[in-house]
Amino acid sequence: MITLVYGGSSSGKSEFAENLVCSSRIQKKYYLATMKYSPDTKERIHRHRVLREGKGFHTLEYAVDISNALKELKEFETTESHASEGKCILLLECMSNLVANEMFLDGEIKSAHQCADKILKEVEALEKQTDSLVIVTNNVFEDGRNYDNETKEYMKALGMVNRQLAASAESVFEVVVGIGIKQ
Amino acid sequence: MILIVGGSYQGKTEYAKQHFSNHNIWNGLHLFVKEKLKKNLSEEQILDEIHKKTDEGHWVLISDELGNGIVPIDEKDTQWREVTGRILILLAKEADEVYRVLLGMGQRIK
Repeated sequence: MITLVYGGSSSGKSEFAENLVCSSRIQKKYYLATMKYSPDTKERIHRHRVLREGKGFHTLEYAVDISNALKELKEFETTESHASEGKCILLLECMSNLVANEMFLDGEIKSAHQCADKILKEVEALEKQTDSLVIVTNNVFEDGRNYDNETKEYMKALGMVNRQLAASAESVFEVVVGIGIKQ
Repeated sequence: MILIVGGSYQGKTEYAKQHFSNHNIWNGLHLFVKEKLKKNLSEEQILDEIHKKTDEGHWVLISDELGNGIVPIDEKDTQWREVTGRILILLAKEADEVYRVLLGMGQRIK
């Protein structure tokens, strides 16, 4: 089951998504972080970590190839201290980073279709292995600017992924000034 | 306090005047944030100034939505949209009512 959380930059979508996960009855909570660690993103990653503190998430970090997170998730669940039956919920944040990471990996640019197909297949695998999958994604589509072809291709890929996820999601929220609006 | 957000030229001011004529209207809150950032004020200081200015009377605060685009190249622009976004989240928490105006139509979201 997919829940999609959509919003602009600094719209409060992360906090909204985290609260959504924390208010779920499912006990086992995983956080799949897709942001690459760099001097530019350091501060933001730190802020999000502080936001998540004490909320009981186990963090998985995959900037690309998110289906590999499943292996780590299973390994984590089979370690003695975490051996537990029961449902799990996974929060994936953020799709906009994942699309950029996949698309511009190793300086080789994938096409929007190729990129979107790969990600959607991997999301499907994650959905099958979890009881609830909450995906945070970004609205980068409304500044009316004209961008270079690479950026346009990126926007196209993210748009394709967002639309497909929205179509298969159980519920979709748009977050505006921290308030989730059910679509 | 009432908060109104939306894209530019969506009719936010018109909406405020029509529905909250007995309120003071503060238009262009996002521009206030920009101006204060230029003077190196922090997020907290800016919020503080907003609180002080709206301390008395009934207020409608209006701001453009800035976050729905690609990350700007200029770091200052990025900082502006992020600080504005976070300030709006905090103001929305304090507000009695929050509206989002699209095509002149106000949707009450709080």
